[in-house]
Amino acid sequence: MMLWSELRDLKDDIDYGTPPRGGSLVSVTIDGVSVSVPEGSSVMFAAAQSRQNIPKLCATDTLEAWGSCRLCLVEIEGRSGYPASCTTIVSEGMIVRTQSEQIQRLRKGVLELYLSDFPAEDVEGGWSEFHDAMAQCGVSSHPYEPTETHLSSAIDTSNPYFLFDPAKCIVCNRCVRACEEIQGTFALTIQGRGFDSKVAAGQDQPFFESECVSCGACVQTCPTQALVEKSLFEGEYSRG
Amino acid sequence: MANPTKPDKQVITTCAYCGVGCGFKAETHQGRIVRMIPWKEGKANHGHSCIKGRFAFDYYQSNDRITTPMIRASIDDAWTPVSWEKAIQHAASELRRVQAKYGTKSVGAISSSRCTNEEIFLVQKFARAVLGNNNIDNCARICHSPTQFGLSATVGWGAASQHFDSILQADVIMIVGANPTEGHPVFGSLMKRRLRQGAKLIVIDPRRTESVNSPHIKADVHLNLRPGTNVAVLDSIAHVIIREKLYNEEFVRSRCEWDEFERWAAFVSSERYAPESIGPQAGLSPELIRQAARLYASGPNSAIYYGLGVTEHSQGSTGVMCLGNLTLSCGMLGREGVGVNPLRGQGNVQGGSCLGSWPHVFSGYRFVTDDEVRASFEKDWGVTLDAEPGLRLPNMFDAAIAGNFRGMFIMGEDPVQSDPNQGHIIQAMRQMECVVIQDLFLNETAKYAHVFLPGSSSLEKDGTFTSAERRVNRVRKVVEPLAGYQDWEIVVLLMNAMGYPAQYADAGEILNEVARLSPAYKGISFELLDRIGSAQWPCDENAPEGTEVLHRKTFPRANGRGTFMLTEYVPTAERTNDTFPLLLTTGRILTQYNVGTQTRRTENNRWHAEDVLEICEHDASVRGIKDGDRVRIASRFGSTELRAKYSERVSGGVVYTTFHHAETRINVVTSDLSDWATNCPEYKVTAVEVVKVEIGSSAKKAKKKKRDEVVTA
Amino acid sequence: MSQSVAHPEETTSARAVPLERLIVMANQIADFFSPYPGPRRAEGIRNHLRTYWDPRMRQDLIDHIAAGGDGVSPSIVEGAQLLTTGDDRKGYYGPPKA
Repeated sequence: MMLWSELRDLKDDIDYGTPPRGGSLVSVTIDGVSVSVPEGSSVMFAAAQSRQNIPKLCATDTLEAWGSCRLCLVEIEGRSGYPASCTTIVSEGMIVRTQSEQIQRLRKGVLELYLSDFPAEDVEGGWSEFHDAMAQCGVSSHPYEPTETHLSSAIDTSNPYFLFDPAKCIVCNRCVRACEEIQGTFALTIQGRGFDSKVAAGQDQPFFESECVSCGACVQTCPTQALVEKSLFEGEYSRG
Repeated sequence: MANPTKPDKQVITTCAYCGVGCGFKAETHQGRIVRMIPWKEGKANHGHSCIKGRFAFDYYQSNDRITTPMIRASIDDAWTPVSWEKAIQHAASELRRVQAKYGTKSVGAISSSRCTNEEIFLVQKFARAVLGNNNIDNCARICHSPTQFGLSATVGWGAASQHFDSILQADVIMIVGANPTEGHPVFGSLMKRRLRQGAKLIVIDPRRTESVNSPHIKADVHLNLRPGTNVAVLDSIAHVIIREKLYNEEFVRSRCEWDEFERWAAFVSSERYAPESIGPQAGLSPELIRQAARLYASGPNSAIYYGLGVTEHSQGSTGVMCLGNLTLSCGMLGREGVGVNPLRGQGNVQGGSCLGSWPHVFSGYRFVTDDEVRASFEKDWGVTLDAEPGLRLPNMFDAAIAGNFRGMFIMGEDPVQSDPNQGHIIQAMRQMECVVIQDLFLNETAKYAHVFLPGSSSLEKDGTFTSAERRVNRVRKVVEPLAGYQDWEIVVLLMNAMGYPAQYADAGEILNEVARLSPAYKGISFELLDRIGSAQWPCDENAPEGTEVLHRKTFPRANGRGTFMLTEYVPTAERTNDTFPLLLTTGRILTQYNVGTQTRRTENNRWHAEDVLEICEHDASVRGIKDGDRVRIASRFGSTELRAKYSERVSGGVVYTTFHHAETRINVVTSDLSDWATNCPEYKVTAVEVVKVEIGSSAKKAKKKKRDEVVTA
Repeated sequence: MSQSVAHPEETTSARAVPLERLIVMANQIADFFSPYPGPRRAEGIRNHLRTYWDPRMRQDLIDHIAAGGDGVSPSIVEGAQLLTTGDDRKGYYGPPKA
């Protein structure tokens, strides 16, 4: 959990992806560039320090790493496979590659899958972190046939200030973690498994009726605008 | 179309609600504020927020915002909208007329902790340099005036010793008379973060607040003392610390006045402060008091955070001194993770204190009675200043009733709703011949005003706030003032109309004047704040970017040493009896802010549409009161009606309510007793009785009748 | 309702706070200083009144004491006496010194 010095190192215009750490420096090489970061930092953090922004969805520097979205994978010399850069901690002399054809393909695949269950009419004109990640990876459509989606899930508009549209939710857990780690209220959970997994407030209640205190931490951290301020919409929110 | 509108502009500013001072990015679209998002580089909030700052901003464009100046001859007349020029001229000539008729000291001014530092400074300058007296006070009088008094007597500065982040290095956290998760939510979250990391928690509070017991948080020791016994219990904790030799002798010898420590140690070691003696008076088991003392003294880093539950008592200042004594005796000062810290209710209570809106001190806590100090202000302002302390807020009302106080300038404050013993205040307001109000809304006090000057919300002006951690934060204009002027500009107009030539190009020039005349703010300027974001005072050549932790090497007292005050427990004169057997204590909840002027004009009302009376099931059922019944609560001062709610948070013999809604009129009930040193009202203890209102009896009529009784009493 | 206008003789009165309330306030101050030994107690009370009280309140208290001081704590009488002897501008201002 973040200590005081780490909170103070947060920057407004940079998202390091994982919390800044204190401690002695470790040198790593990211895409051929050498960078020194405090011990305990993630590969993602080190990359951000060397201005290599690895695409990410479930990671943000105000929350501890989670490692579920599989978008931030990288190649590390001497290791097999494609570890997630958010949950991989740097070690001295580590050599990391954040870009390769294979990585590109894998990331594209991840995003296309998310996109296949995202309201199609909101792909264009959106400005969420999800949209940024798509732009970064060159994804704007997906090859999948129409299949089961969350477009029929009910929108929770019970809170006067924000709404939750499950059709845009990618179940990255950031809202749940923000409620726990930042706010300390523990009002949100992920219920169900696989396709059925969803964000639930309280005992699967509408947000307004749950123990949610409307601090806005979940809205602030949501990468897809599934949780979003009502004040950004003229009139009632509707899909499509 | 389900994509949200993208804001076209961002302005970094500071939340105007509680004293945490969260940084926000106010986002606008086509000139209208569409959302407030927490600023990651805000030193108090690190990107976090609460419901008030994050969402409850729409009050600024509420339909009942007044945007045109208005005047009237009598408070029974309707308001007449007039031009700015006419309103200012009228206010100026009326205040001068009252002074000509009743004397220089027959008028005064009140500023508010919702105002910026620059405005507060200017209002005190207006009182002293233009009205020519020291009848200037601010609403900190009724909340944290004992903090300034009690802490300055022991540790030297009447302010938090730490920065908020310091709590993340505390091993033991002691919360006294405060409810951070409701009143200071973002700090509450930081505290909970530290508690989840394993810090221990002591809570001293009559209520079982969320801090005492909530998911993932449980207090290690909860002293649910009887309201009004703070000083006894804190002295008893000190008794244990001395008797069991838990104090930090090295710290006391090297940093404090040893003779005074010995005197104090002898005083608190007396048998009358033994837990066995105090426990029964406070409704606590002696063992619990011992546990609290041992835990606090064990540290290694123990930090005290306290609120109005300490200050709003007839011994409020003494209670604050007790906290000062405790921290000094255990050496819990001068480093991260320790300290004694007031949690301030309003955004700029600390600023209100610093900027001289007091009848006895100028900005920077410099005494008006001190010839040298006064000379420096006289030189800067070019006028001769009154050498005597002026009237305090409650004394202004007393003097009004006595016929010797007839005019008032009130900025951003609503004393009729917020001050105790409402009937008395209303009687005083009716004596006034010229009340000038500068506010966003026609508040309760405006009913007794003759001139209304429409002010600007904090979203419409430039300036600074000083948060509870002494942090001077920048307030930036996000949208143009709805009524045409920023508040400081209105005060300048009034000063000029009354013959005092004040001229400032912008709020930053006022801040420069503050810096010139207030040592702790010496290095503070818009330029500095724009460059480094914020700075905690003292900020001067020795600390060019401010000071996070106070008292690292010395205390700001003449000999540089901390000292100990003798804190005799004197039970309040407000006691329960057969007629009024319960004790009422008051507080606040998360979604509403203070008297609700802002939050009641937002959707926050959906969470808290009315004030309810928390009562334990036993006390309720013996009175035939069911959960949800309407009840009448009466004290020897007055009575009002509200709904009862069964609550496990209050103990037997204690009832609790909030003061957010004007309709509740809870301050009709609260007592007129006040702190011995500062006259801070004793909101936290009133003897009351609660009876069920029978269905069918016209509650409205009864209320109306009662109000008339109070007013004409 | 018309404004209630004070009689001229009322306006010349120095009284800012009703005497009854003034006595309660003064005695509360006396209670605080009660654990201190005599001279320090008197000095502490004097300094408090001098630093924080409007002069009209001080004068009313002094007048009341001169008239017998009904209901006023003896230590307030001692403290108030220091206000009337010597130069009242001299002395310490500020929060009580231990």
